[in-house]
Amino acid sequence: MRAPDLASSQSSPSAEDGGTISSGDVTSSGAAGGPASERIGALASLLSWQSLGAAVSALLAFVIFVIVAPHFLSLGAWASILLLSAELGVVAVGVTLLMITGEYDLSIGSVAALAALVLAVLSAKGVSVVLALIIVLVMGIAIGLINGVFVTFAKAPSLIVTLGGMFFWQSVVLASTEGYSKPLHGYGLVGTLFASTWHEFSVSILWWLAVVVIFGFVLRRTRLGNHIFATGGDAGAARNLGVHTRRVKIAMFVLTAVLASLMGLMEVGRYSSANPTIGQNMELTAIAAVVIGGTQLSGGSGSIVGATFGVLTLGMIQVGLQLAAVPPYFFEGIVGLILLAAVLINLYTGKLTMRARS
Amino acid sequence: MPLLQTQGLTKRFGRVAALGGVDLKVEPGEVVGLLGDNGAGKSTLIKILAGVHRPTTGTMSWEGSPISLASPAEAIRLGISVVYQDLAVVNSMTIYRNLFLGREDAVSRRIGPLQMLDVGKARAESRRLLAELGVHVKSIDVPVGSLSGGERQSIAIARAIHFESKLLIMDEPTSALSVKESAKVLGYIEAARRKGVAVIVITHNISSIYPIVDRVIVLALGRTIAHASRRDGSTFPSATDLADLIVGVRTSPGVTESSVNTTGGGGDICNP
Repeated sequence: MRAPDLASSQSSPSAEDGGTISSGDVTSSGAAGGPASERIGALASLLSWQSLGAAVSALLAFVIFVIVAPHFLSLGAWASILLLSAELGVVAVGVTLLMITGEYDLSIGSVAALAALVLAVLSAKGVSVVLALIIVLVMGIAIGLINGVFVTFAKAPSLIVTLGGMFFWQSVVLASTEGYSKPLHGYGLVGTLFASTWHEFSVSILWWLAVVVIFGFVLRRTRLGNHIFATGGDAGAARNLGVHTRRVKIAMFVLTAVLASLMGLMEVGRYSSANPTIGQNMELTAIAAVVIGGTQLSGGSGSIVGATFGVLTLGMIQVGLQLAAVPPYFFEGIVGLILLAAVLINLYTGKLTMRARS
Repeated sequence: MPLLQTQGLTKRFGRVAALGGVDLKVEPGEVVGLLGDNGAGKSTLIKILAGVHRPTTGTMSWEGSPISLASPAEAIRLGISVVYQDLAVVNSMTIYRNLFLGREDAVSRRIGPLQMLDVGKARAESRRLLAELGVHVKSIDVPVGSLSGGERQSIAIARAIHFESKLLIMDEPTSALSVKESAKVLGYIEAARRKGVAVIVITHNISSIYPIVDRVIVLALGRTIAHASRRDGSTFPSATDLADLIVGVRTSPGVTESSVNTTGGGGDICNP
């Protein structure tokens, strides 16, 4: 009962992240083709275009700043925009996947600062750079595991668990640095790997691209991705069908903590020192970018491409405001407004799905 | 040889006897109505058949050989799939993603550490399976939540057919549906039977499934109180008789086959 031949003519690979519905897919039936089902079809195509809102907001930001901000189209401006976007974008990928499973991580910023600090401390102790990087990686995995186990086995809400983590690791960083930066001794490899530049453009952009492409693929085209959607969409049904929802959530906590550590490495590589303010507010900015990117706060649906547009939007605003000589204090205000608009759009599309269910 | 047979199944939870002796028989490719009022022990029985609970006493056999289901995975491996009332599909996911959820290896290949989905194949298979069941959807890329209740049940049935389940257990598949939608679901169940899948339909409403059942089993207070088959030549009870049995208006089934068994152990607490 496998492998039908009729399939080959219809099974065009669909670019699912943008527009799944191709007209060739419609299985026509005389009876069911009423206006109601048409509306559902149109709705579905709208939903699979959930990243469209973020693409539009990115385009809008681009057009506005091209008009109001001098030199917005310069290479230097884009080197800055992409650098900021890369650092935020790497963690936003973790935040997106985690949010699709229905969970949050507020400890990202503190974990990034901790990763940077640990690397600096190890460099001062003369530990080899490769070993130091491995230690940072293992630490990220361990923190993610702790978060995940608390949430899945102790059934504590992730907001609280990771809020605790945020305070705890922040305190560890501040207590051991007393608020001062810790310089990196040697460790040229860290600068090369995470912060070297080519015509002003940072290598971190490549890391960002790689993370986006790999996990965009994982989400849309693999079993794990299917399980991520199922875990956040309906954990009970997913478990009944053999999805290990706890394992999926723990894996996403681990991924998020590791990506936060990677972000910390980018920053420590860039400044050649671990600044305790690394990652400050990063957790909230990342959530903002992800929500602007169309991911539902309730889990079950979301898009890495959308989050990437959300990140780019914020990067353009941050740099564009500077170029337009607007005081940086306005940045958060504007992000707040965009976020509100995005959340209303998300809620509205969510409600449409509910309505289509009768 | 029966596909599934149980004898004297009992289940106690502490001092509570949920099942007090259940005898049940399912032949390959037949539709069995498992009837009983709320609290009759239907849910406990399904969970035993699904490998979620282990019976306290009693035996089960599958295709002639004795089995003890240690886990849901083992039940699935034998070819038993269970469709729970509200927990069978993920509404936010598309039809084809739902169909292969948890069984992605059928439409994927391994690349390094990842199991890559062959989306084209998954969609084509989904389209074919739904067409076989007579389900007409506009696109298999819509979220399952946008389908009607009956169509959602069809996803679970299509899944059982694709994975060549031998026994599909459906918990109250029509209870939340309109008459028209219920009729559709019955059609899907009959299509599954044509494919050789045996189906146990659990319900407290006999009239909803009476036209399609080959066999009925009535549970009351944790015991099998009646057992009848359309195929063994004896008189088959009418829907009214069965409804009376379910609610306890009638306690001695006059029209059932000999396998009625009330000698199962335990279960006294359940008795009125």
